[in-house]
Amino acid sequence: MVIIDWLRVNWLYIAVPVLVFLGVFFISLWLRRISYNALERWLKERKTEIGKIIISATRGPFLHWLLILGAYIALQVSVLGPQWKSLGGKILASIFIAYFGWILIRLSREFVQFYLNKTKVPQRVSMVTTSIAQVTIIVVGILILLELWGAPMTPILIAVIAAIVVAILAFRDIFPSLVSGFQLTQQKQIKTGDLIRLESGEEGRVEEITWRNTQIKTLEGNIIIIPNNKLMQTTIINYGKQPKVSKEPFQFSTRLHLKELTGLSASNLSQLASRLKEVPDAVVYYHTHSFVEEYQFLTPEPTNDFALWVQDALGYDILAERLASIDTFEFPTVGALRQMIIGVIQDFLAQTSNEREAPPGNEFHFIKSISIVLPTPYVAHDLQEFVGILRRISIGSLYFHIFEARLRLQRGTNDFSRWLEECLGEKELAEQITRLDPYNYTMENLREIIIQLCEKGYESENKR
Amino acid sequence: MNPKINVKDYEPIVGKSYIEELSMLARRLSGKTVLNINSTFAGGGVAEILSRLVPLLNQLGVDVRWQIISGDAQFFEVTKKLHNALHGKDEPISDDEFSLFLETTKKNLNQIDFSGDILFIHDPQPVALIAKKRDIGRKWIWRCHIDISHPDSRVWEFLKQFVINYDAGVLSSPNFAQELPMRQFFVPPSIDPLSDKNKELSAEAVGSVLAKYGLNQDKPLILQVSRFDWLKDPLGVIKTFELVRKNFACQLVLAGGTASDDPESGEVLEEVKERAGGNPDIHILDIPPGSDIDINALQRAATIIMQKSLREGFALTITEALWKAKPVVASAVGGIPLQVKNKLTGLLCHSVEGAAYALRQILANPDYGRWLGHNGREHVHQHFLITREIRDYLLMFLTLERKEDFIYL
Repeated sequence: MVIIDWLRVNWLYIAVPVLVFLGVFFISLWLRRISYNALERWLKERKTEIGKIIISATRGPFLHWLLILGAYIALQVSVLGPQWKSLGGKILASIFIAYFGWILIRLSREFVQFYLNKTKVPQRVSMVTTSIAQVTIIVVGILILLELWGAPMTPILIAVIAAIVVAILAFRDIFPSLVSGFQLTQQKQIKTGDLIRLESGEEGRVEEITWRNTQIKTLEGNIIIIPNNKLMQTTIINYGKQPKVSKEPFQFSTRLHLKELTGLSASNLSQLASRLKEVPDAVVYYHTHSFVEEYQFLTPEPTNDFALWVQDALGYDILAERLASIDTFEFPTVGALRQMIIGVIQDFLAQTSNEREAPPGNEFHFIKSISIVLPTPYVAHDLQEFVGILRRISIGSLYFHIFEARLRLQRGTNDFSRWLEECLGEKELAEQITRLDPYNYTMENLREIIIQLCEKGYESENKR
Repeated sequence: MNPKINVKDYEPIVGKSYIEELSMLARRLSGKTVLNINSTFAGGGVAEILSRLVPLLNQLGVDVRWQIISGDAQFFEVTKKLHNALHGKDEPISDDEFSLFLETTKKNLNQIDFSGDILFIHDPQPVALIAKKRDIGRKWIWRCHIDISHPDSRVWEFLKQFVINYDAGVLSSPNFAQELPMRQFFVPPSIDPLSDKNKELSAEAVGSVLAKYGLNQDKPLILQVSRFDWLKDPLGVIKTFELVRKNFACQLVLAGGTASDDPESGEVLEEVKERAGGNPDIHILDIPPGSDIDINALQRAATIIMQKSLREGFALTITEALWKAKPVVASAVGGIPLQVKNKLTGLLCHSVEGAAYALRQILANPDYGRWLGHNGREHVHQHFLITREIRDYLLMFLTLERKEDFIYL
């Protein structure tokens, strides 16, 4: 009865705060609906995942925060004494800070998870980063609460700063790499699968980018691990993403050779023709290719040793010209080439009555070329890798795949064209390389021309 | 060899892929031992090349060892005679001297530790050690560093009975090849681009050597480096110079030494000095052995380098000149045409007049001289550096038992 009587007299003391509470609450609900709708529309236009995370994490708690706000304003308009208002306000503020902090922790966990999933960092790194974010929020929240309840802040702040300094010192080597890793993944200058060339000359495909290191698989098949901060400081050529992958990889081989002396020699044309009939193919090959091989730095004079000897030692200029003009590139086998050379010499002999003898010491010595082929560590899986390897293989390797594959191994064409057509489907590029007459270029020029043709090939592939 | 020199130091010169290929070959020889045997650890071209090759091959991981035969002064007098006779010199050798050669070989057969999978025997002095093959088997290679294109037939027949038992022979030039039952490989000699004789020198270092010998730095310099020997035709060089000097202001330097084992060299030097007379533009320099930096500086200072030999083995002095990108005028004898391809990597001549004509062409057309020099350096770069000789030996060791013309390793 006493309470009813009291309410009858002082109902206004209760009604005003309650009305204020309800008014603030409903106005806030209305504002929340307008603002969240607007936010949802904005996010829909931008298709961002982050906004969805924020909305789903805060929609429910936002209602509770409005209740706390309404209670706080109601408390302030009530007739309670100032000390009670202050105490109530602190309690409500503390509840809000704790609640807000909890939501922030949830959000931070989801944000970190979201970014780390995108950058494919290891689980351990993801957990450490989430923990650091959560601890930071908790520490900041506690500091605000202590400030709110009037606790002495100076020693606490000193302790926190000291802890941060210790943490920075402990992670001083890792930190720059973490920052660089973040930059690398965010700026997307390098991506997994890109073929890159470092300032040091190393070339390879990016296998993995972690927050600390980047792993590169070189063209030789070795793995290089580079700290991200070092990678950010170096000049990098990025050839881009892996293009069309070949059915079978191209294994580069190299060819070295030994010169074996046959002990056979000729001092006139008849002897030269007669010996030419009996020597192995490896001898004919040597004497039709030694000039290309040994004087590859000169603008080539596609000649053969027979033509040179006939001119220098016997003085038969016309025969020398006929022998020199035999186009080696036209012959599919060494045997066919041999027949042509013998034929030219015999035709000339048929019209010559007095044969000349080479001066003593100027006899023709028959030499045999022994080719020794061994695999290199270089394997190309696509056109970009192929070009990267072409830049660095030895002249011996280039020589083997271009000259020996066609004529000595009788593969019909050079190895590069075969692979490009059969394994990569690059028929046009293959034909362009097949059409090149390698006897008309220096080896270095030949390398450069093939590289240029291939580069045009993958430029047009990129456009497609 | 400078102990600080590493096989990797050759990378900037021959390229990374070249050194990688050497390593690939060396790995395939893993577990094999190669034993070199010659007659001395110091002095002479063979000892010089082995002192460079052995450490480099070891650095590549190949177990290469080096031993020498022992013998008294009489034995080495006989081997000197054998050497001269192989070069074609008429050298009387008695039956007793042949017997002494065989007796010393017998002593060495008992003293030398033949622990190697491949026995690599250098030159004629240890050639008869092949007798050990009957007991121990293994692979034996005879490396002949000298010109045997026109040997004294009696001496060659004596040595041939040993040579034919080897599994392979290695010769420095195709025209040294003989009709023999075993395989013969052609491996030309090489120079070391990092040695004192061939390394890069500063302009100051070159200038100080020119000043030391009183040479004019502003006058075109024609140089021949060779010991004082009639076969190097020093008088022909002076005649050539006199023909050229009528039209071109230039100076001639004949730089060489006198060998203690060649009594003729002092006599040649005196006659050359007399022939030069008081011509202030002719400088005869008797340079003591071991003055490699001086020779290097003279070659780098030269405008044209000559090698007007009457007979020649391979002529590494030409290789050194070409490596320094100098235009070369040389006689078309011995192994010289292997290095000097006429009008491409230098100019070849057959006479004093021809040599003078070639010199005038270059002196009147410095750009032509530079083009020849550039080509010459590239030629040496590809074919006559020590790395190429190492590669040839590695290939030979690896393929000794394979008879095919096309070998997959």
